[in-house]
Amino acid sequence: MTEQDVHDTIVVIDDDYAMRLSCEQILGKSGYGVRSYEDGARGLEGVAELKPSLVVVDLKMPGLSGIEVIPRIHEIDPGIVIVVITGYATIGTAVDAMKAGAYDFLPKPFSPDELRLIVRRGLERRRLVAESQQAEIERELMKRRFVTFVSHQLKTPLVAVHQFLEVLQRLGDNADASAKRREWTERCLVRTTEMRTLINNWLTLSQLGGGTLSRHRVDLDVRELLAHVVGEHAESAARQDIRLELTPGVPLPVHGDRTCLSVLFENLIANAVKYNRPGGSVRVEGTVDSGEVVVAVTDTGLGIPAGDLPYLFDEFYRVRRSGDETLTGTGLGLPISRRVALEMGGAIEVESTEGAGSTFRVRLPSCPAPSSKTEPIR
Amino acid sequence: MTPRKTVLVIDDDADFQMSVGSLLEVEGYDVVAAASGREGLRKLLEVRPDVVLLDVMMESTTEGYGVSERIKYGEEYAAVRDVPVLMVSSIQESPDERFPRSPEVEMIRPDRYLTKPLDIPRFLEILAKAARR
Repeated sequence: MTEQDVHDTIVVIDDDYAMRLSCEQILGKSGYGVRSYEDGARGLEGVAELKPSLVVVDLKMPGLSGIEVIPRIHEIDPGIVIVVITGYATIGTAVDAMKAGAYDFLPKPFSPDELRLIVRRGLERRRLVAESQQAEIERELMKRRFVTFVSHQLKTPLVAVHQFLEVLQRLGDNADASAKRREWTERCLVRTTEMRTLINNWLTLSQLGGGTLSRHRVDLDVRELLAHVVGEHAESAARQDIRLELTPGVPLPVHGDRTCLSVLFENLIANAVKYNRPGGSVRVEGTVDSGEVVVAVTDTGLGIPAGDLPYLFDEFYRVRRSGDETLTGTGLGLPISRRVALEMGGAIEVESTEGAGSTFRVRLPSCPAPSSKTEPIR
Repeated sequence: MTPRKTVLVIDDDADFQMSVGSLLEVEGYDVVAAASGREGLRKLLEVRPDVVLLDVMMESTTEGYGVSERIKYGEEYAAVRDVPVLMVSSIQESPDERFPRSPEVEMIRPDRYLTKPLDIPRFLEILAKAARR
C-alpha cells in the first residue's frame, strides 16, 4: 500500500448492518478512513461533509436507491469514485448504475480481497484522472501566460518605436524636431534590437521544442562566439560604466548549433551587464576541463536572493528586487539558455550571493577536432 | 487665456515617456513623468495634476491597477480622488477581463482605457476633455 492510500476516506452506504460492519473492517484494516451510513439521504450528508475519495453504495435500499444517489454524489464532487454493490438479481441495474456514473460494481457475495482490489483500482484511477487534469490545467495556464507575455514583451518595443515615428511625423520639420529626430532614431534602433533578441529567443525555443536543433550542428570555436557577443555588448557596458572583459584563453572546440549557442551566451552576458551597477565588472572566461568546454560569466552585480535560485531557470520566473523596476525582461532568457545547454549535451549552473554578484557556468562537451578545422565566424 | 494643464504620465517605458511627453508639451501641457507606480503616487500628491495617464503593465509591484485603486480608495489620496485617470495598455483589456467576476473590479475601474500606440488625435481629444473637468 502506498502512503497516499492511508489518507483516503471511504464512505459506505448500505442498509444492511452486517454489510456495513464488514466493509468498515475490511477497508479499515487496509488503512482507509471509513464511515458508513444506513440510507441514501444520510449517506449524501456524510459525503458532503467528509468529501471522500470513494463511495461504496448498495443499489437496493429503502428510501433513496443507489441509482438515485450516484448523480447526487457527483453533484457534490464529480471526482468521487463510486463502486456499487449489488445482488446477482440486479446485474441489469448495475449496468444502469455505471451509465449513471459509477466506476464499477461488485456482485454480492464478495470476498474481502475482491472489495480491496476494486477499491484500490478505483482510487488509482482517481489519482490518474486528477493528475492528468492538473497537468492539463498547468499546460493551459502556461499557454495563457505565454500569450500574455508574448503580446506584452513584443508589443512594448514596437509601441515605443511606433509612438516615436508618429509623434515625429506630427512635429514636422522645425529645428527642435530635427534634434529629436536624431535622438529618437537612436532609441528606435535600440528598441528594434531588443525585439530582434526577443524573436531570436522565441525562435530558439520553438526550435528546441521541435527537435530541429541537432540538424544545424557544426564544429565551432566558442572562443570566437564569445568574442563576438562580448564585442556587441562593449558599448552598452561602457555606457553604464561596467568593465566587460573576455579573458583570452585556449580554443574552445564544440560541435553545436551556432545560432542557439549565440543566444545562450548573449543571454548570460546581457544579464550580467544589465543586473550590474556602475563601476562593476563582467568577466567572461573559457577553459577546457577534462573533455568539457567550460564558460564562466562572472559579474559583480546585484546577485540573486537564495530563495530565487531554485526557480531561476523556470519559464517566466523573474527575480523581483526593490529598486530595479526599470529593468525589463521576458523571463525566458535563462530557461532558453538552459535548454540549449542541455540539448548540446551540456549543463548550466549558477552560484550567486545577493548584493555581491553571480557566476553562470556553462559546460559543453568539447569535440576533439583541431581548431584549424573549426568554421570561422561569419 | 486658460492656465496650462498638467498631465502626470506614469509609465515604466522611458521611450514612451519621451515621445508622449514631447507631444504633450507641443500641445501646450505641462508634463510630469513617473517611471513606477510608487513614484507616480508620490508625484500625484506633490504636483496635483489635472489628468493622470497610467500604464497598466509595469514591472513594479505597484502596477497600474494597484495605482488606480489607491487613487480611488486610499485614505491618503482623498485630495486627488477626482483626478481623471486614463489607463493605457498595449493589449486590449479591462480589469473586467483581467479579474473576471471580481467584486474588486469596480474599485479599480479607471475613467478611460486607451490602447498603445496612442491614436494621437483621439487621445488629444479625450485628454482635453478630461483636463477640463
